[in-house]
Amino acid sequence: MKNIKVLFFGKLKEIWENNHLNLKTESSNIEELYSELLKSASSEPFKSSIKVARNDEFCDWSTTIEDGDEVAFLPPASGG
Amino acid sequence: MKSPFCHRLQEVEVFRLSENPINDNDLKKLTLDDECGGFVCFEGWVRNHNQGKSVLKLAYEAYPKLAEKEGNQIIEEAFEKFAIKKALCTHRIGTLAIGDMAVWVGVSAAHRDAAFKACRYILDEVKSRVPIWKNEHWTDGESGWVEQE
Repeated sequence: MKNIKVLFFGKLKEIWENNHLNLKTESSNIEELYSELLKSASSEPFKSSIKVARNDEFCDWSTTIEDGDEVAFLPPASGG
Repeated sequence: MKSPFCHRLQEVEVFRLSENPINDNDLKKLTLDDECGGFVCFEGWVRNHNQGKSVLKLAYEAYPKLAEKEGNQIIEEAFEKFAIKKALCTHRIGTLAIGDMAVWVGVSAAHRDAAFKACRYILDEVKSRVPIWKNEHWTDGESGWVEQE
């Protein structure tokens, strides 16, 4: 089991009704973690628009996660 | 946190998030350079309407660590692509009222063409790549996250 901190931003905070979650997971990568998280989502977001980051770096959905990681799910940017 | 690219700007961070109003005069002074004949600046302001809705205020949130990294990366790219001497960008976070400045980009170059192009490049890339999100609050009391334009 790994301890992972998950961060949600923008409209994803509303979908998960939280800006972060601390969870224990057996998911091996971000894709699996996301599938696990969908079970607690209030609606299904448009996945192809989401970017992911691990420990403050953009990464791929296939990126392996390790105990103590911080994983962020980012909707499309809308600054400016 | 100091930018990895601060050597270009005498220890000035090139991309910053700010919870306080943007001081455009100070930023301009930091960007001007005696070797440069051109200075181009873009200021983004909070307007009172969007997509047919009357806007009351905006709330910007960011993923700060990643936003600063990505913003600095974009400015580094502008230095690689265009013959510019200095470039700075500051983006507000927090709650902004109509008429507040949300983003400032300034570029100095020896000649105008590079300054115009780099300013446009930095702004466009910041809007599409830097993890900052805009929540609009409308005059009807509702609010919603703005989708990418």
